[in-house]
Amino acid sequence: MSETAEKILQTRGKTTELDAYVVKASFDRAGTACAFALGDGTVAIKPLAGEAWHRVPTHEGAILALATDAAPQGWITGGDDGHFMRIGPDGAITLIAPFGMRWVDTVTSFTDGRTRLVACSSGKKLMVFDAANTKLKTLEHPSTVTGMVFDGKGKRIAASHYDGASVWLVASRSDSPRKLDWKGSHIGIVMSPDGDSVVTAMQENALHGWRLSDNQHMRMTGYPSKTLGLSFSKSGKWLASSGADSVVLWPFFGGGPMGKPPTELAGGDGITCTYVACHPKDDLVAAAFEDGLVVIADIGSARILPVAGPGRGPVTTLAWSPDGSHLAFGTEGGFAAVIDLSKT
Amino acid sequence: MAEAVNPEGQVPVTVLTGYLGAGKTTLLNRILSENHGKKYAVVINEFGELGVDNDLVVDTDEEVFEMNNGCICCTVRGDLIRIVTGLMKRRGKFDGIIIETTGLANPAPVAQTFFVDDTVKEKTRLDAIITVVDALNLPQRLIDSAEAEEQIAFADVIVLNKVDLVTTEALSAVEAQIRKINKYAKIHHATKGSVPITELLNQGAFDLNRVLVHAPEFLTSDEHEHNDEIRSMSFEAEKPIDAERFNAWIGALLAEKGGDMLRTKGILSYEGDDRRFAFQAVHMMADGDFIGAWKAGEPRTSRIVFIGRNLNRPQLRRGFESCQVA
Ligand SMILES: [Zn+2]
Repeated sequence: MSETAEKILQTRGKTTELDAYVVKASFDRAGTACAFALGDGTVAIKPLAGEAWHRVPTHEGAILALATDAAPQGWITGGDDGHFMRIGPDGAITLIAPFGMRWVDTVTSFTDGRTRLVACSSGKKLMVFDAANTKLKTLEHPSTVTGMVFDGKGKRIAASHYDGASVWLVASRSDSPRKLDWKGSHIGIVMSPDGDSVVTAMQENALHGWRLSDNQHMRMTGYPSKTLGLSFSKSGKWLASSGADSVVLWPFFGGGPMGKPPTELAGGDGITCTYVACHPKDDLVAAAFEDGLVVIADIGSARILPVAGPGRGPVTTLAWSPDGSHLAFGTEGGFAAVIDLSKT
Repeated sequence: MAEAVNPEGQVPVTVLTGYLGAGKTTLLNRILSENHGKKYAVVINEFGELGVDNDLVVDTDEEVFEMNNGCICCTVRGDLIRIVTGLMKRRGKFDGIIIETTGLANPAPVAQTFFVDDTVKEKTRLDAIITVVDALNLPQRLIDSAEAEEQIAFADVIVLNKVDLVTTEALSAVEAQIRKINKYAKIHHATKGSVPITELLNQGAFDLNRVLVHAPEFLTSDEHEHNDEIRSMSFEAEKPIDAERFNAWIGALLAEKGGDMLRTKGILSYEGDDRRFAFQAVHMMADGDFIGAWKAGEPRTSRIVFIGRNLNRPQLRRGFESCQVA
């Protein structure tokens, strides 16, 4: 299997050694380049055209968060230097906002082609900015924000924290959130494509979900370790998750995941799945494992295509290009790859 | 990266506790300013007494959460999990992590953080809990704050500060008060935190054998015992320990009485193994690992230390002794 996997990486991949912890990978919205945010404070940018990798010094310390900008090109980052930054397609960096000694833990963005919003969290505060870096909102939470996500229309933003999550109306004048309560430490958050389900990953090796339309709670348990990768399929039918020795997929159709066992793919060898990312168009999920193995699983047929073999250490991040033609991944040890999966 | 990092590549973490005014921040600044050529990441809270002079300072709110198991002693510092995980991304740029807690902090959630999270467990090791107290104010603090007592109970190392401000008799009395709570911590007398850094950092987890050999025998016969007071006691076993029996016994004990058991530490000689097994627990959360081999000719005596409330000495002794191979 690993020979096949290495063949795909070797024939279709552009790879490099970055010599720093790869925190997060993200393509820009136009799909022209992929950025890798690193533990040494730099961002490595790989344009899809050409062979060069550009290194952009962005933060004083480690980068903690990276996301695509709301603009067609470029990215936003948060660092342990307390800076919320924007990186242009040419590698030019601008400071969106500083937060003193407090880390900028999470960043995200939204655009529908007209409105452009970017957001970051630092401690208990979540802040929303427009394209001109003007702060539109400061939203206070009971404890540190650990994850946040815009809904598909940019109307709401949901944040995870201790004892649950908060869902805010971005344009509302009255700043009181819809509170989703569940005791414990919630460390990451996703929203289903239809905007009706909010799911958090918990410190205690479990997922917790809330269906907003009928206040139904959804408990998804049984993980041997923490879920770091959490991703809805584009169809909204499946929620893929890491944290077990397989890709754990919860069904979000036919009444939801309650009382149903999850589907497990690419498992059986006892190696922990460290990260997952669903394909932006089809019911496919990319999954990475502790030993460095990266696969793409077809959810419908359960077919597994290995794309990178084991041996490179834990994979920390996976990202699809917006059209689904390219897959990027990075490792704890600083290996980074962009793989062209388009039919030629 | 210096020798601070052990063969598994784990970064040592030192926890610094102590009530307000004991001299915790002064000690911290002394550690940082000493010319040791090492770099430390320092985690402080916004209510710190003084500024901290260091390149890498992380300011945090102490965010304690209860685990979802319904047990009030199972509490964890979520902010530390986030910060330690974040710091690991910039690995190789510092030799250790020092965490300063607020004066009113119960040390249990900090210590328990190092048992709960996989990443934190894998990448770091809790090197020592250092508690700063001062000879002048400790007697009063023990009366008016439960945290002062718990901070002493949790300590591996106690810095007894401001010894120049009290008489020799008063100093002995204060030391006796500390020993009554925790016989097994190393005590360093100090003025303005003047303790060599080698006595504070890289204590190498618990060199329990050495600590126990030097622990003063405490006379308990004529004491009036209140059960809710914190006490410490240790037991020895000459014959090898049966791992299965020990796990069953300690597991049941901590599950039943974990709320009262503040710290449990042991160095065990498992039957059929030439390595020393180090066991430690904070309340109900326990962890264990093989450390170096027993030295040739060294008696393989297993030792266990309990620090907590309502400790039943005969019962604990019988329990531990029954873990020996028949
Ligand atoms: Zn408990």
